[in-house]
Amino acid sequence: MLRLRAAGAERPWRRLRGAALARGLLQPAAAGHGAAQRRQVAHFTFQPDPEPQKYGQTQKMNLFQSITSALDNSLAKDPTAVIFGEDVAFGGVFRCTVGLRDKYGKDRVFNTPLCEQGIVGFGIGIAVAGATAIAEIQFADYIFPAFDQIVNEAAKYRYRSGDLFNCGSLTIRSPWGCVGHGALYHSQSPEAFFAHCPGIKVVIPRSPFQAKGLLLSCIEDKNPCIFFEPKILYRAAVEQVPIEPYNIPLSQAEVLQEGSDVTLVAWGTQVHVIREVASMAKEKLGVSCEVIDLRTIIPWDVDTVCKSVIKTGRLLISHEAPLTGGFASEISSTVQEECFLNLEAPISRVCGYDTPFPHIFEPFYIPDKWKCYDALRKMINY
Amino acid sequence: MAVVVAAARFWGPSRGLGQAALLALRRPGARGLARSHPHRQQQQQFSSLEDKPQFPGASAEFIDKLEFIQPNVISGIPIYRVMDRQGQIINPSEDPQLPQEQVLKFYKSMTLLNTMDRILYESQRQGRISFYMTNYGEEGTHVGSAAALDNTDLVFGQYREAGVLMYRDYPLELFMAQCYGNVSDPGKGRQMPVHYGCKERHFVTISSPLATQIPQAVGAAYAAKRANANRVVICYFGEGAASEGDAHAGFNFAATLECPIIFFCRNNGYAISTPTSEQYRGDGIAARGPGYGLISIRVDGNDVFAVYNATKEARRRAVAENQPFLIEAMTYRIGHHSTSDDSSAYRSVDEVNYWDKQDHPISRLRRYLLGRGWWDDEQEKAWRKQSRKRVMEAFEQAERKLKPNPNLLFSDVYQEMPVQLRKQQESLSRHLQTYGEHYPLDHFEK
Repeated sequence: MLRLRAAGAERPWRRLRGAALARGLLQPAAAGHGAAQRRQVAHFTFQPDPEPQKYGQTQKMNLFQSITSALDNSLAKDPTAVIFGEDVAFGGVFRCTVGLRDKYGKDRVFNTPLCEQGIVGFGIGIAVAGATAIAEIQFADYIFPAFDQIVNEAAKYRYRSGDLFNCGSLTIRSPWGCVGHGALYHSQSPEAFFAHCPGIKVVIPRSPFQAKGLLLSCIEDKNPCIFFEPKILYRAAVEQVPIEPYNIPLSQAEVLQEGSDVTLVAWGTQVHVIREVASMAKEKLGVSCEVIDLRTIIPWDVDTVCKSVIKTGRLLISHEAPLTGGFASEISSTVQEECFLNLEAPISRVCGYDTPFPHIFEPFYIPDKWKCYDALRKMINY
Repeated sequence: MAVVVAAARFWGPSRGLGQAALLALRRPGARGLARSHPHRQQQQQFSSLEDKPQFPGASAEFIDKLEFIQPNVISGIPIYRVMDRQGQIINPSEDPQLPQEQVLKFYKSMTLLNTMDRILYESQRQGRISFYMTNYGEEGTHVGSAAALDNTDLVFGQYREAGVLMYRDYPLELFMAQCYGNVSDPGKGRQMPVHYGCKERHFVTISSPLATQIPQAVGAAYAAKRANANRVVICYFGEGAASEGDAHAGFNFAATLECPIIFFCRNNGYAISTPTSEQYRGDGIAARGPGYGLISIRVDGNDVFAVYNATKEARRRAVAENQPFLIEAMTYRIGHHSTSDDSSAYRSVDEVNYWDKQDHPISRLRRYLLGRGWWDDEQEKAWRKQSRKRVMEAFEQAERKLKPNPNLLFSDVYQEMPVQLRKQQESLSRHLQTYGEHYPLDHFEK
């Protein structure tokens, strides 16, 4: 449309015919209307960490490449390790397993039928037999058919058998969290369902470097682990990641930024949102924030969070998952038990609403930096 | 935006996945020595010159007559047996010709199990243990199949397979210890009675949820295949559990991933009160096998030799060819579902008596033994006395023992105890210091 009007400036009006005439008559969209047609940009800005120095040579990797690297290291080190799930053979719908089948063979990287309860049950069996099982559930939204196998079987295997049997060498990986347009069934963050289940570990990385180290720790951990991968970061998050294997410990939260006035806690993509909120708070309110990435949901690092709140007196927890029964409730409840007299304000939770994850309303649904900033402001002014 | 690209890659099935779809085509045809079918060769087979179906999803001819397939439930898959109900071998070429010692072991395992069942069922009635499940009528399915396996073959059971452990010489003391949840229980008192497990005898600990063991057994079989272990995995389940989604998942995975596994279904006529007529409408479980690509057979579960022969051959081929087998053993649950059940509420005493008196695996084997001159009434009397004495001794000993230390409530949730759980353990400890008199501490180890 814009091109035709420019042409019209050079040629007489009478040359436009038919469709061209119709097009020529159409006004280009006004600035306001045009903006409504374009889809939103992401609600966060990925903040890479500085290049790690102590793990040897690094390479620029995005999140899915860092996952591939971790899987590559695992299959190289551990001859019993196998990767399976829907569509992993050709490289996976998010390209996390590209190249691995060619490198390690079709008996080690293979597709399963479309059946999540089967994938997890099968994975448990491999682990019980003493081999390393890395199962992929294509979207966390589809993990629920496997809920029985995870909660009633995997989590309880060691306990119920008196430690005669276990499935500690099972790791389940699954894409997690909002992606801009995923709606009800491609956006969920189900960590709270699993937080209520003693016997498993649930881990969520914020970045490629974190993901590789945490995934390797999950794979090597002697307990069944669920590793949720923020899908919106698969391509968006890029940083220098060591080529060789390395481990980041589980059940240890990381203080990304020290501060004195308020503690901000999040995990996965939301860590980048609260980092920005911390900058906003410093700039606009002169408030000093301590930013914590929880990293492991269960068993979670109570000590690091409480130590921080004892110092700051204020806590804000944020996650995409719905408010009621979300994992922020557990953190809030524990912190008020342990740090009651240190609190200067009620603990704030900025979360998704108690609705299924909507499609077109996603920009309104997510706990973005403005909602977090507003909650923080209210806490400071309490 | 990178996100949009990633999304488009996923949401556009024709973009980027078309190539993969072609590569994923499987060559149709009979399964020979099982190997994964190679990719890429299907492209040469496409030919629009011939009027044959080209669909990747099925290997079949066209038909131009509208005909529905009628499921055949009137005359279903025949039931393989070796002995008649009087313990006579029907077809001598099917007699496994097992040595006397082994057949006596069959008999003694089944009868010892029966004796233990009677005593432990009674002990629940008397309030000594909380719960029990008997194996009456199904002893043949346990012992016949267990005998056909190697001792190191991994067993995944449901809950009515104690005879497998009995055949593998699991001590009575440990059966009892688990039922009593005493200090000797290898399971550390965590589960209800009959949830046995034994690492040395390769019997995976039982869990209550039904059919969950089925896909797990398949995974274990896959790992055994990769390890070139020359082992088979056997997975037991009832006809009721076979209705669960996990059963469907397990069958399909075993076939597609070419696992050396024997699926052993004990079709005993009831899932608690639900008869088979309300459990399925097809021809039982064996008929489902071919639908998944499983080699299948139906056997008389009350005929120890039939069970033995079928399991033996299935084991040989499962390991040699890396493929799954399905055995449906027809039998009858003579006892109640458990001590929480009174089956007279849903079936007639006459029906139960028929099976107990006319078609019982122990009776049939006894008649065989008597016929061979390998057993007689005197030995029977002596063995009954001896087995009962053994069971009673183990029972009394189990009763006297203490329960494990309450600290064992907290261990093995993870391999290492998490910090927060240790705090909870300490909290209980402190609580007991003040309120201990209200708890049965005297029965527990200090």
